[in-house]
Amino acid sequence: METTGTSRGALAKVGLNVPTTGWGRILGILSRHREASIAVVAVVLVIYFQLGNSNFLSPQELSVVLRDTGRFGLIAVAEVMLMITGEIDLSVGSTFSLAPYVMVLMTITWGVPLALSSIVGILLGVLIGVVNGVITVRFRVPSLIMTVGTFFLLQGVVVSIYNSQPIVAPVQEPFNAIFGENLYGPTDSIWSWHGLTAFTPFLWTALVIAAMALVLNRTSFGLHTIATGSNVIGAREIGIRTDRIKIYNFMIAGAFAAAAGITNTVQFASADPLAGGPFLTLQAIAAAVIGGTSLLGGSGTPIGALLGAFVVATLNNGLVMMGAQATVSDIYLGTAIVVAMILNVQVDRLRARRRM
Amino acid sequence: MSQKDIPVIDPNAPVILEMQHISKRFGAVTALVDVSIKLRQGEVLALCGDNGAGKSTLIKILSGFHHPDSGTIIYQGKEVHFRSPREARAHGIETVYQDLALINHLSVYHNMFVGREYHKRILGLKLLDNQKMRDLARTYLDSLGIEIPSVSSTVDLLSGGQRQSVAVARSIYSSPTVLVLDEPLAALGVREGAHVLGLIQNLRRLRKVSIILIVHNYNQVFEVCDRINFLHSGEIAFDATTSETTEEELIRIVKSGLGRQAIAAASEEFRDSTQDIGPSSAN
Repeated sequence: METTGTSRGALAKVGLNVPTTGWGRILGILSRHREASIAVVAVVLVIYFQLGNSNFLSPQELSVVLRDTGRFGLIAVAEVMLMITGEIDLSVGSTFSLAPYVMVLMTITWGVPLALSSIVGILLGVLIGVVNGVITVRFRVPSLIMTVGTFFLLQGVVVSIYNSQPIVAPVQEPFNAIFGENLYGPTDSIWSWHGLTAFTPFLWTALVIAAMALVLNRTSFGLHTIATGSNVIGAREIGIRTDRIKIYNFMIAGAFAAAAGITNTVQFASADPLAGGPFLTLQAIAAAVIGGTSLLGGSGTPIGALLGAFVVATLNNGLVMMGAQATVSDIYLGTAIVVAMILNVQVDRLRARRRM
Repeated sequence: MSQKDIPVIDPNAPVILEMQHISKRFGAVTALVDVSIKLRQGEVLALCGDNGAGKSTLIKILSGFHHPDSGTIIYQGKEVHFRSPREARAHGIETVYQDLALINHLSVYHNMFVGREYHKRILGLKLLDNQKMRDLARTYLDSLGIEIPSVSSTVDLLSGGQRQSVAVARSIYSSPTVLVLDEPLAALGVREGAHVLGLIQNLRRLRKVSIILIVHNYNQVFEVCDRINFLHSGEIAFDATTSETTEEELIRIVKSGLGRQAIAAASEEFRDSTQDIGPSSAN
């Protein structure tokens, strides 16, 4: 007792655990450099695909990959925030379809400018988040199942409006050029305004994720979000309004899913009721998980979500560019999710084991 | 750290808190029946009793977690009704729960200030002032004699005693009038427990905060408290000051003062502690 106490004290003094096995050492490194280790994976993938297909780093291909990254990343960072509180939102795929559909309908039928109807679309996403959040915390139901319910409900609503028909979205400049339309042509310089539009969804997402990293790590809201997921009873005893924190994060998820859907609709000038769907939800969650966020609550990284989204987008597109069947990429994605989840949970366990 | 270091509490010290005739039922379960306790300014009161005696319910009423079915709380001379833990805290009643309410994923200094963070404005944004919180936490823990390897390490790296100490330090940072410690020695080794008792003794010496100490077994805290109240089956079985009694005497009172069932429960508790008390109390 006495001796273990002393050695524990010594370990705690340097602030490090000393792993005994190679596996423990790897987990230790991963836990300290979460984002860096995912960045390494991303770079390895880029090198691999560039070697297999020298076009991978061309502006055209990169635009496709980074647009996907932007779409997944925006939803993934919201999932990261929710997963830190110990919740999850599987309805984002429906919000992604519904919000731009409502936006386009408003503009077409009432002539509301897109700049305004897009705000209504995002507010709709926020409202969906409020409903998800309030039901989850008030009725104490697991959000994992609750949001499957709202997913189907909203999916049903959006397809029933026009019998699953996509509607053509109006193009209003400069709104479209700013929020997702790709003006980049073969003759344009990558450093021109048109070149910039090839990457706008990604740049917006990168900006939002940088802001969320700041919110998580440097604001009271972020601190309370971590506290809520790490120890919900303790957080409540301290006086943190954990229910509100959860609801706010559901609202963020709804807003970001709506925003991602809107940039998608702007890009294709079309509002498709099936644009989101379950697959998009799962890819965003995959991005969050690959980015180093476990579902255990209390920890997660927004920057990781961006890197994870890039890995998912690279796997999605890279293999296809190399001439593989589109479905083959799912094998890699599936494997990546399983491996990432094992690592995330093991790293969290390592933290728990360090507690003495 | 002996009893003699600390002057006996002034018997005329003002009563800071009185819980009068508190009763509470949870459905068919009667948790508290007409319980009254009194706490003087600067006093350390130990509230003892077996599992299910009602200790936790009583302090959760005090801290605003539960609401009594009947009875009143007189605090600083006024009747109060706390509707939430937040309200009790705003009145200067801090509680350290058994689970410590520490956030494992946060650093020691974030744990010290979570829920009452310091901010600074950068480009109009209200951001956490981590530097200030880190410095304040370090200075404050030092002033209480609490040794922590680094205030920047996450609390899951700390030992049980250090965790308890951080939780107590956090609660007294806001200079509360009343501090409630729920089973501060549970799950601690002997050495760790001694560390926490030392911290309580330090606070008692200053006589600034009145402390209610919830414990399973009074002999763990006999040295650091001024008065002991026994709670049994939802009622206060008796009330004694430690300056007038000895541990042996307490055992006699417990045995004679309670019902048959109570003696059985009490003697079981004493069997666990015979090494500390001596052979005279073994039967």
